[in-house]
Amino acid sequence: MDQQHIRNFSIIAHIDHGKSTLADRLIEVTGALSPREMAPQILDSMDLERERGITIKAQAVRLTYEYQHQQYELNLIDTPGHVDFTYEVSRALQACEGALLVVDASQGVEAQTLANLYLALEHDLTVVPVINKIDLPSADPERVMEELLDIGLDGTEAVLVSAKQGLGISAVLEQIVEKIPPPSGDPVGPLRALIFDSRFDSYKGVLVYVRVVDGKIRVGDAIRFMATGKEFMVTEIGVFRPQLTPVEELSTGEVGYFAAQIKAVQDTRVGDTVTSADNPASTPLPGYRPAQPMVYSGIYPVDSEDYTRLREALEKLQLNDAALVFEPETSAALGFGFRAGFLGLLHMEVIQERLEREYDLTLITTAPNVVYQVTVQSGEVVRVDNPALMPPAGQIVKIEEPIVEAHIITPTEYIGAVMELAQERRGSYVNLSYLDAQRALLQYLLPLGEIMYDFFDQLKSRTRGYASLDYQWAGLKEADLVRMDILLNGEVVDALSSIVHRDRAYAKGRALVEKLRDIIPRQLFDVPIQAAVGSRVIARETVKALRKDVLAKCYGGDITRKRKLLEKQKEGKRRMKAVGSVEIPQEAFMAILKVEDPNG
Amino acid sequence: MGERRYGLYVHIPFCQARCTYCDFNTVTGMSEEDHRRYVGALIQELRQEHPPGAVLTSLYFGGGTPSLIDPRLIATIIEAVRGWAPLVDDAWEVTLEVNPGTATEEALTAWRDAGVNRLSIGAQARQPSHLAALHRVHDVDQIDATFLLARTAGFNNLSLDAIYGLPDQTLAEWQETVNGLIALGPDHLSLYALTVERGTPLQRQLQRGVIKLPHPDLVADMADWAELRLAAEGLLAYEISNYAKPGKESRHNRLYWELEPYLALGAGAHAYVPGRRWWNVRGVRRYVTIVEQGGDPMAGEEILSLSEEMRQFLWLGLRERAGVSRERFRERFGVDVQAAVGEPLADLVARGLVEENPEWVRLTARGRDLANWVGQRLVDAPITVRTSE
Repeated sequence: MDQQHIRNFSIIAHIDHGKSTLADRLIEVTGALSPREMAPQILDSMDLERERGITIKAQAVRLTYEYQHQQYELNLIDTPGHVDFTYEVSRALQACEGALLVVDASQGVEAQTLANLYLALEHDLTVVPVINKIDLPSADPERVMEELLDIGLDGTEAVLVSAKQGLGISAVLEQIVEKIPPPSGDPVGPLRALIFDSRFDSYKGVLVYVRVVDGKIRVGDAIRFMATGKEFMVTEIGVFRPQLTPVEELSTGEVGYFAAQIKAVQDTRVGDTVTSADNPASTPLPGYRPAQPMVYSGIYPVDSEDYTRLREALEKLQLNDAALVFEPETSAALGFGFRAGFLGLLHMEVIQERLEREYDLTLITTAPNVVYQVTVQSGEVVRVDNPALMPPAGQIVKIEEPIVEAHIITPTEYIGAVMELAQERRGSYVNLSYLDAQRALLQYLLPLGEIMYDFFDQLKSRTRGYASLDYQWAGLKEADLVRMDILLNGEVVDALSSIVHRDRAYAKGRALVEKLRDIIPRQLFDVPIQAAVGSRVIARETVKALRKDVLAKCYGGDITRKRKLLEKQKEGKRRMKAVGSVEIPQEAFMAILKVEDPNG
Repeated sequence: MGERRYGLYVHIPFCQARCTYCDFNTVTGMSEEDHRRYVGALIQELRQEHPPGAVLTSLYFGGGTPSLIDPRLIATIIEAVRGWAPLVDDAWEVTLEVNPGTATEEALTAWRDAGVNRLSIGAQARQPSHLAALHRVHDVDQIDATFLLARTAGFNNLSLDAIYGLPDQTLAEWQETVNGLIALGPDHLSLYALTVERGTPLQRQLQRGVIKLPHPDLVADMADWAELRLAAEGLLAYEISNYAKPGKESRHNRLYWELEPYLALGAGAHAYVPGRRWWNVRGVRRYVTIVEQGGDPMAGEEILSLSEEMRQFLWLGLRERAGVSRERFRERFGVDVQAAVGEPLADLVARGLVEENPEWVRLTARGRDLANWVGQRLVDAPITVRTSE
């Protein structure tokens, strides 16, 4: 297809504003799938994506559209919307010339809308505003148009649609052709193609999702990945309709996939440039950076015999997820397991849930932590991704922690509450601006570690669910941090150690031991729980010994039932982890995330 | 073949009203005609399903509310049972569960004459507020009246039931209940910690938060206080929840804890013989229909391996204060307890929950407090010896 008849676009939106439904309608109206083949959220193929209404993997689909007697090839690249995947989103956007910005007609502009808009503008995309859900009784398109104006878009040109009812879909298609420019790029230059995703196929090897920027790619070509330097021979090329459909070649401006007997997705980094091995381009496409885990957590099997199964499951997930990293780790409390790194909290939850669900593992996961950069006396700088491995205080010169810039959109009446929360979490104020008379945008620099501690739930509860949050990486900053240990029965439980700010250690320690006292069931003996910084105990509680545990009645008709009850109770205990002689339920290891700072 | 000795349980599922904590197999609102048909079915089941040749050691009418039906029906059942199997001796025990709201002087005499020699009277509490909250059909005066009338009618083996750990119950109220019952001079007491069963009105009330249970430590105080108080009266704890004057322990209930055989009649009734437990259909109308058509009302069964029997012998037997007799264990299974479950037993001894000597294995005082915890250790304990079956 000649470049003039190609349009590459993405859909960006805040969660639940109707991105997937709009994509479904576009696929349906252009006839890419028959109604019989359609399923809701067609592009979200994982169960988890459909259940949670989120997109985790990028997807693409080629639509054929006739406009004013001309055939157009429209490539929709669906992106994950969540902040964890900002880098992936930015790569997907770089593969496009335009984006549909979908805004809910009653909710209006939200934090994620803004974050994605800024990303789109950074990549010089043409943004086509779409106001969705105009069929809802609470819809207020005029107000949303004004909000769009406030963020620098011509709201009056927004397409009004109801993706659910199928209203306004052809207007969207017309706007895509009219407003979004066709791809530029040099059709005769050396090949440069941008990788925006990849996935593992057990027959073909890794399928690499690309947008051809310059030149073309054919079956049989020798190609090179510019970041890793690895070379392969292309064995298959295809496009997404949305099922994989082989073609002869992909030319300048086109979107598709290729296979080349590649064994691991780690060789195909999102953002890397594919070029020809025989006639390589001199410079790669801009913007590549290796995936950098932001959040780490320990993953341990409850039953130590599952260790090998857990490793195999992690390896399988890694085949499809270049951002997942893990290495073996041992904990005095939990035994053999893995330290795994994730892009963010959602990424972590998704991986943990898939391990338990798809691989039928019972796991203990430790509370997530960020990566600290620690300068020690020798001048050496060490990366600490596990609180238990923080060097002793005496050896530390300084600790730096990761900082993010957070964008919070809130109704104006909750500005005070949001600022209070940000202060409690050691935030530093950057800016306050008003989107309209009712809503404001607050910007704060916040330690990423603080955001992990229940920040989003607190934000929601203090704004009655109205505030929205997005954030991006903003570097490292020195802070006065200490390691807080938890002792059960006098023994340090390494998996319960955490890094906290010195000024908050007392309050956090107190809140945590109280929480643990409630979570840890009564045992045969008293179990003291202590929080300590260094050798100093800062808080103490006791789980009193169990006094009575009896089955009151056991008569003839009851014996089979009572036996089953005993077996069930025993099974419940098996799901707990015995640390020393104390049995600890799984949730204890996450307790630190749930403690509210009473002084905060 | 030696003589086959059994206990016999007869289930009378009818109730005037359902108590909030009850999850037994009971029905309300049935007519006297329904009662008659049901009793007819009980007798028919006895004749159809149980060939003669057994010797009975005890007979137990449980419910439901056996005292709700016409005493002549109870007499009919006892007569049929005696015609079917000889009694072991004069010591045989015939217990009837009685709800104080349903027992008249005439009824008491009729039961006595029919051969009932032990009554288990459900008192539960001695505060009108608690009785009303539990949907009991009687008041405090009726507990006393029933008990005294029963004595007058000649019953010399009377048991009373009470429940502690009731929603919002105080220690003082529990002491009042126990003291009030002791004042009557019972031969036997059953004191039960309230258990919240799934699907009961009580569970729903707790879920909705309209009532709340006392703190577990307060419930433990109630149990400890009662045990001391009853011991002072010569009522000794011979099982987790049961107290008796010496010689007045329930002969029938001990069969359950000692893994001795018992047969059972009626809707939802459970029976056991070595190697096998089985039970009848629960629905009263279904039960009657099946039996009247000459069918077997059995709904399910469970085959117990020898290892499983050993485990049950232990965790059930440890409920009794006297513990498990090593000699009985050897007679039954051909091995010593030590050889069968040495490892878990040693662990329980090391934790101070179980004690043993050459004659017996039993719970320590701490072990009795944590009998459920001990049971969890034994319920799937590996059996380390193989015996020839």
